[in-house]
Amino acid sequence: MKTRFKTAVTPFMIWVAAMVLILIGWQLVVWLTGLPAYVIPPPAVAFGNLFDNWPQLQRLTGQTLYETAIGYVLGAVIGFLLALAMGQIRIVQRLVMPALIISQAVPVVAIAAPLVIIFGFGLMPKLLIVAWIVFFPVVVNVLDGLASVDRDMLNLARLMGGSGLRAFAIVKLPACIGPLFSGLKIGATYAVTGAVIGEWTASSKQGLGTYLLTANAQMNTAGVYAAMLLLTVIGVGSFLLVLGLEIFMTPWRCRSTSPAWMQAQRTSPAKSLA
Amino acid sequence: MDELRDYSTDAGRRMGGSTSPQIKLSIQNLSVHFGVVTALSDVSLDVVDGEFVCILGASGCGKSTLFNVVSGLSRATSGRVVLGGQDVSNRPGQVGYMLQKDLMLPWRTVLGNITLAASLTRGATAKDRAEAADLAARYGLGEFLNHYPHALSGGMRQRVAMMRTIAAGRQVMLLDEPFGALDAQTRLGMQQWLLQVWRDMHRTILFVTHDVDEAIFLADRIVVMTPRPGRIAEILSVDLPRPRSLEVLTSDIFVGLKRQIMQHLYH
Repeated sequence: MKTRFKTAVTPFMIWVAAMVLILIGWQLVVWLTGLPAYVIPPPAVAFGNLFDNWPQLQRLTGQTLYETAIGYVLGAVIGFLLALAMGQIRIVQRLVMPALIISQAVPVVAIAAPLVIIFGFGLMPKLLIVAWIVFFPVVVNVLDGLASVDRDMLNLARLMGGSGLRAFAIVKLPACIGPLFSGLKIGATYAVTGAVIGEWTASSKQGLGTYLLTANAQMNTAGVYAAMLLLTVIGVGSFLLVLGLEIFMTPWRCRSTSPAWMQAQRTSPAKSLA
Repeated sequence: MDELRDYSTDAGRRMGGSTSPQIKLSIQNLSVHFGVVTALSDVSLDVVDGEFVCILGASGCGKSTLFNVVSGLSRATSGRVVLGGQDVSNRPGQVGYMLQKDLMLPWRTVLGNITLAASLTRGATAKDRAEAADLAARYGLGEFLNHYPHALSGGMRQRVAMMRTIAAGRQVMLLDEPFGALDAQTRLGMQQWLLQVWRDMHRTILFVTHDVDEAIFLADRIVVMTPRPGRIAEILSVDLPRPRSLEVLTSDIFVGLKRQIMQHLYH
């Protein structure tokens, strides 16, 4: 129990230490350069602005978080399903792969304009921009996962009489979960960027991205930093959330035995499909 | 639970015993050509029910090609495979198959890996899991049912792979250098363990190896194969008493057989 407590607390302490270091570095830059607060506000001023405008910023954070989350899930689901289709059907992979690479070569900012022309100002173009960014790392990683399944393993499954959906679900699908989360983690940090770009080009509704632009235009540097801080929190928060989900979903990567709730399921006579 | 019955006292199933031997697997005039290369040339072999046959040869002698054809994974150019009186040529899934790679599914526990065949065909039931747990307990893995494969040693993983093959329920099992990746001490332990399992389970085993000592220690008969083209050079009976202990490794019969085989392999 003691070691378990320790393994849970140590990474947390490292995170706290890293954040303290960043704040110290920030403050040092302000002191050493002697730049005025309207160029680089010290941490205290930025956080002061954040707390002073909290009711408004809270609402904006909620809006940006909403766009990020929905777009993220949309991109992840589309990416995962597309990768499965591409991995299973060769011709689909051949046809779709060039289009995928081209889609990522187009700058995201450039995609925003046609999306607004098609869908108008509103939620849809923002969601699509976030999804656009997220789905690519998901597709690439899941495809790698599918390709990594040992040929001999597939042969063995065939010799054991496994075919079709069952063999796919038992032998291939779980091999994608690890790579899927690699893609999801990359996507988690990028998604918020997508939301901000979306707000800059396609927003009729205020979010942190639009607030950042307004604060910048008003020379409200502390406001710019406050928005930046909150956007960072969204990015880091999504990453940690996905990381936690990954640890929960892939127990075989970090444990030597299956978790108790899985063992209960395994020995329960009611569950026949393992 | 029928298959867990102890057959160790049943001497009749050995070749030359009191009951007449019944042919379980018949490999008839198998030839395999890959383009201009002849991988297997006119290979014929009858294997008796409950027999342990080792197929011995240097790399390139067609051992693995032979197994791929017998298992139904690949096609023979000519010839056929008859199992229990039925032609099973090109019909995969009729025999058990185990490789040097343990091929554990990392996301399934020991229990989940042993019940793999059931999960793949119809879904593992509580009965399957109970039988797998019995099997694991009987062969020293009872404490590790809920362990993931990465937490086990190479030898333990091969034992799990063996139990998975047994649990799949096929009467004839093809083992393709299953202990090839293990260190010498572990391998010797695994060979003794395999003999015990084979004695208990009453299965027919075809075992590929390039290790002469391993072949003599395990087999009722040794099929010596030579390469280019892959064909059977000689079939030798191993008249060592069972159960075999480590002492047989230095007996006169053992050394004599080894000399005879070495002449075939390295003449």
